[in-house]
Parts: sequence; structure tokens; C-alpha cells
Amino acid sequence: MPDISLIATLALMVIKVLVITMILFMLPLPLTYVERKVAGHIQVRLGPWRVGPHGLLQPFADMIKLILKEDIVPDKADKFLFKLAPFMAMIPAFAVYAAIPFGDKWTIPFLDRQVSLYITDMNVGILYVLAISGLGVYGLIFGGWSSNSKYALIGGLRSSAQMISYEIAVSFSAIGVVLLSKSLSLVEIVKHQGGTILHWNFFYLPVGPVWFFIFLIGATAEINRVPFDLPEDEGTLGAGFHTEYSGMRFAFFMLSEYVAMVTVSVMSVVLFFGGWNAPFNIPFVPPILWFIGKVILFIYFFMWLRFTLPRYRYDQLMTIGWKILIPVSLVNLIITGLMKI
Amino acid sequence: MEQIFFYIFATIAVLSAIGVISVRNPVHSAFYLMVTLLQVAAIFILLRSPFLAAVQVFIYVGAIMVLFLFAVMVLDIGKEELTEAFNQQSVIAIPAVVVMLALIAYMIIGGKLSAPVGGYTDGILIGHGTEVLGKELYTKYLFPFEVVSILLLVALVGAIVLVMKDRQG
Amino acid sequence: MNGKKGGVNIFELIKKVVFTDFVKGLMVTLGYNATKSITLKYPDQEKWIPYRRFRGLHTLNRDEKGRELCVACELCSKACPTQCITVIPMEDDTGRGISDRVARVWKVDLVRCLFCGYCEDACPTRALRLGRDYELACTDSSCNLKQREELLVPQAVPESFEGGVVASSTFIVTPAGIRIKADLAKTKRRNW
Ligand code: SF4
Ligand code: SF4
Repeated sequence: MPDISLIATLALMVIKVLVITMILFMLPLPLTYVERKVAGHIQVRLGPWRVGPHGLLQPFADMIKLILKEDIVPDKADKFLFKLAPFMAMIPAFAVYAAIPFGDKWTIPFLDRQVSLYITDMNVGILYVLAISGLGVYGLIFGGWSSNSKYALIGGLRSSAQMISYEIAVSFSAIGVVLLSKSLSLVEIVKHQGGTILHWNFFYLPVGPVWFFIFLIGATAEINRVPFDLPEDEGTLGAGFHTEYSGMRFAFFMLSEYVAMVTVSVMSVVLFFGGWNAPFNIPFVPPILWFIGKVILFIYFFMWLRFTLPRYRYDQLMTIGWKILIPVSLVNLIITGLMKI
Repeated sequence: MEQIFFYIFATIAVLSAIGVISVRNPVHSAFYLMVTLLQVAAIFILLRSPFLAAVQVFIYVGAIMVLFLFAVMVLDIGKEELTEAFNQQSVIAIPAVVVMLALIAYMIIGGKLSAPVGGYTDGILIGHGTEVLGKELYTKYLFPFEVVSILLLVALVGAIVLVMKDRQG
Repeated sequence: MNGKKGGVNIFELIKKVVFTDFVKGLMVTLGYNATKSITLKYPDQEKWIPYRRFRGLHTLNRDEKGRELCVACELCSKACPTQCITVIPMEDDTGRGISDRVARVWKVDLVRCLFCGYCEDACPTRALRLGRDYELACTDSSCNLKQREELLVPQAVPESFEGGVVASSTFIVTPAGIRIKADLAKTKRRNW
């Protein structure tokens, strides 16, 4: 006779995984819409307008189009890796969410059961997130290489070099956060930032903001967003690593890119902006709303950035990574260490 | 339960390791190597050391393999596949492999590979494994740790020096 | 440049460290994000009515008694740089035109026309004007050639209407094609 509570725990786990996966799958629909609207308004246009009221049905039209499109595999492509690559980009992007805390414990009314608003509380959560999100680059590399196209290959090469260069800076900033919060677990990191707004890692002066900007720049580079979107530089590379992809496989790349953008927003909030902690003591606002609100602000920021900045040149990209971010993070690490003694 | 998982991971790891050395296409080899490393990381988790698993994925799969791929991708695969993979090395390699396998088998059968169980129980390791590891590394094993760091530094400087010379010449 | 020669320019450095240029750029785009869009909601809701000087589809005018102003003098076809106007005159004393010489055929090939307006300048009787119809696209080549009969029909925007405004419009889809009907009574100016 198996234990009832064990089954309940397992069921809860499965439900949580399903809910998060579904949310992540649906996420690109509003995100593509919002991104195009933001693009439109920043360029003093309207953005999508004609499909449905205010163009609200545009993402669904796009989705139908992507599903119905022919799935083209180039004749000379490496079929095995070509078909696998979109999934290699997508699965890590989703797997990251196993460790991300959306909120603290929450009691279901009437059932009197505590539910934690995260899938697991890993004691190496921050490392897990960095490691798994780093795996997404394989999709780009293999996708670029297997397409047997020069643009795709250059895109893949660029993404691998870019990823290596910026991973170091991002990990340094993660070390900084670990030093500030004294834990590798993301839940502990958030809890450590509880209290007032001044407990947030961002406001741990003078090193907090520096860590944040290092993280922000490095993470932007890792998820290939403007101004570091060289792997899919549409000005010079066609579409970069996914030049040869079409239909649903292309959609999977898009999906993983959007999910990665959300991951970076979520991680910025968790690591530097107090996760679900409220900045001011306003009653009746559940913590999860604070969390979502902060994430939305970050997502808007990334879109805003995309339609403001031009793309960096490739040598500038490398210079920023190796000659600015890494030395700055080394110095910052020493300062943080001294402050924490 | 754990045993089953171990065998699943181990089998995939061994199969993909064989894949690494048997496929002709270097990019495919890199792919199989990646799978192997991921399986090893999974086995680390079974061994209650999530830290090592995360680091394994982070360093080996996330960084070193990407560097490998970077180099491998720019190779001309078409030519690489045609050239005969066997050459004079096999004369030395085959005896060496046989000797090494025999040695490993001897060690496993003789049971010399097991070390005495330390003072750390499951209770301490679960949840605090990283702390234990860090403390040990920076107190008891500080000297070897520093030696390894210097070794890496020397290799780093060496690599830079080699490249610099190349540019001048 | 300067920084490299005479040591590091400290102000430039501080500017870089606090991302001044980035913030400036971001503020500009944020400002645009908050401003109203300049996009015309054409064809569903709005349609641009051009100024009188606009050179659109040709139109042939009549005088106030309804007689055709064109006297088939062929000056327009002579003036046309692309020779896309064909005029074949004939005699007619039924009062169709203002004189006894009228056009039997008056046609313009819109594919060749470059809307330069020389023809309307050449016209001695102000019969020919380039009007304000600009929705000339169609799905086959049937609409390339515009005949006299068609051009004699007054255009939607009368000559007297000043233009330079946005009129509210309706988008009409019929089996015969699509049409955008502008309501000249409901117009507004745009300030860009
Ligand atoms: S507008 Fe110019 S090109 Fe067109 S018919 Fe008149 S004269 Fe010819
Ligand atoms: S339209 Fe004017 S220029 Fe042309 S034939 Fe008639 S009167 Fe002459």
C-alpha cells in the first residue's frame, strides 16, 4: 500500500512541471505580439493592427502559418543533427525552470496543504541554471553546422565563440551573488534579500550594481539579443544559424530564444532584485505578482534595448567580453570578498 | 530504483563513448562525447554530489565541448571522412590499450580501487555537499589545489606566448 | 583618439562607466514609444486625400453645360514624353464638345505614363487634368488602358476640394474588386 502523501507529492510535482511547461510553450504568443507592438511604437508605427482588434490575433495567425509551412531539410544537410538541433536548443531552455523559484510556500485554501511555488529547491540551483542554460548553445552550433550553408555555419561559429567569452563574465557575477547571499540555492538567495528594498543584492553598494551590469551584459550576449545578436545578424548573415530552417523547426528556435529571454529576466529578478520580495510594504499584493511584475519590466527592457541599440561589430564584442567584463569582474570579486570578510 | 537509473545512465554513457571513437564525422563524435559527459553528470547526481554534476555540465559540456566544436566545425569534414583513420600509431596503440584494460580489470577484480569510508554520512552530504567540498579543498588540500592552479596558469601563459610568436614570425 | 595620446580622458571614462550614451539613446526611444503613432489606418479607417497639386489618374473635364472641353487638338499626345496618349479626332456638331472637333478616341496607357503632368500643361482648354485618384493597381492588365468614357466620369475628389487631409474611409470588398470609399465630410488635418 503506497503512501498517500508520497503520491500527492508526486502528483503535485507533475502538475507543477506541466503548468510551467504549458506556460512556457504559450509564452511566445504574447511575447511576439508585445515585441512587435513595442517595435512599432518605438518606431512611431502601430505594429500589428489588422488581425483581430488591435492585431491581437496576429500571433495565432503566425502560429498557424508556422505549423502549416513545409518543413524543409536541405539536401546536403546532416539530416540527423539538423533535425535534432531545434530540440537541443529548446530542451535546456525549458529545463532551467526546474530550479527557478517563483514564490515562497503558499497554502491552498480549504485543503490545508502547503505548496511551494518552485519545482525543486536545489542546493546548487544557481550553478544548475547557468550550466543548463549554457547547453542551449549546442542547438545553435549544431543547427548552424548541419545546415551545410555558409551563413548558418558562421552563425554557429559566432554563437559558440560568443557563448564561451561571456559565460565567464556571467559566472563571475554569479559568484558575486553567491558571495553576497552566502548560498548556492536560489530560494535561499531570494530569502536572503527579504526585508526592505535595501536588502536586494542590487543595492549592496558599491559592488551590487556592478555585478548586475556584468550579469546583464553577459546574459544579453548569451541569449543573442541586440546589441549582441551576431549569430543571427540579419544584415550580413541572412538569418544566421537558422537560415535554413523553416516551419516548426524554426518555431522551436524562436521559442527557445523567447524562453531564454524570459529566463534572463527571471534570473535578474531572482539574483539582484529580490525575487518575489515586495519593494515596499503594500498589503494585499501577493508575492507572485511582484515577481511577475518585475519580470515583465525586464522583458520590456530587453525589447526596448533591441529597438534602440545598433549591433556591435564582432571584434568589439570580443573586446567587451575579454578586456572589459572579465577584468572588471575580477576586481569586483576582490572588493566583494573584502567587504564580506 | 537507483540501481536501475545507474544502469540506464551507464549504458548510454558507454554506448555513446563507443560512438565517439567509432563514427567518422568529427562533429558527430563531439555530439556523442557531449552525451557521454551528460550521462556522467547524471551519475554524479546519483552519487549525491550535485555540485560535481553541475560543474561537470558547466565546464565540460558547457565550455570545453563548445571550444572543441569551434575547432572541429571549421575542419573540412568532407576530406576528413575520406582519409584512412588507421596509421602506424595502431602498432603501439593496440598493445597499450590491451595493457591498460588488463590493468583496470586487475584493479577492479582485486578490489584495490575502493578507499576507506570517510566520516561523511549521507545526512551531512545531502544539502551541504558543496560546503564540505569547499572546506576540504581550501584547508586540507590547499597545497595540491594551488599547484593545479599554477599549472593551469602556466599552460595559459604558454598558450598566449605561442600565439604571440606566431604573429611576429 | 584624444584619450590615447594625452592619457585617458577622465570625463570620457566616467561617461562610459555610467552608460551615459546608452541612457540617452534609451530615453530617446522611450520618448518615441510614448508618442502617438503616425501610421495611417489605411484602408480600414483612414485615407489620405492629396493636395490639389497631386498628379494622379487623368481626368477629362466638361464645361458647366456638360460639353466636353477636349477639342482633340492632340497637343497632349505631342507633349507627352512617353507617347502614351492616343487621340483620334472626329467632326461632331451635335454639341458634344465645345467646338465641332471632338475626340473619337482618347486613351492613355498608364503603364507607360510617368505622371509628369506635361499633358495637362499642354492642354489649351484645360480639358485634361491629372486628378487625385491613386488607387490604380489591379490584378490583370485590363486597367492599364484608360479610355475617354472612363476618364470623363468625375473623380471622387472634386477639383474644388482643397485636400491635404485625412478622410475617414470605409473598406468595401465586392466580388468585382475592392474599393476604398472616403468620406470627404469627415476629415482631419495631420500635424507631422
Ligand atoms: S503625365 Fe506625362 S507621361 Fe503621363 S500622359 Fe501626361 S505627359 Fe504623358
Ligand atoms: S485633352 Fe487637351 S490637349 Fe489633349 S487633345 Fe484634348 S484639348 Fe487637346
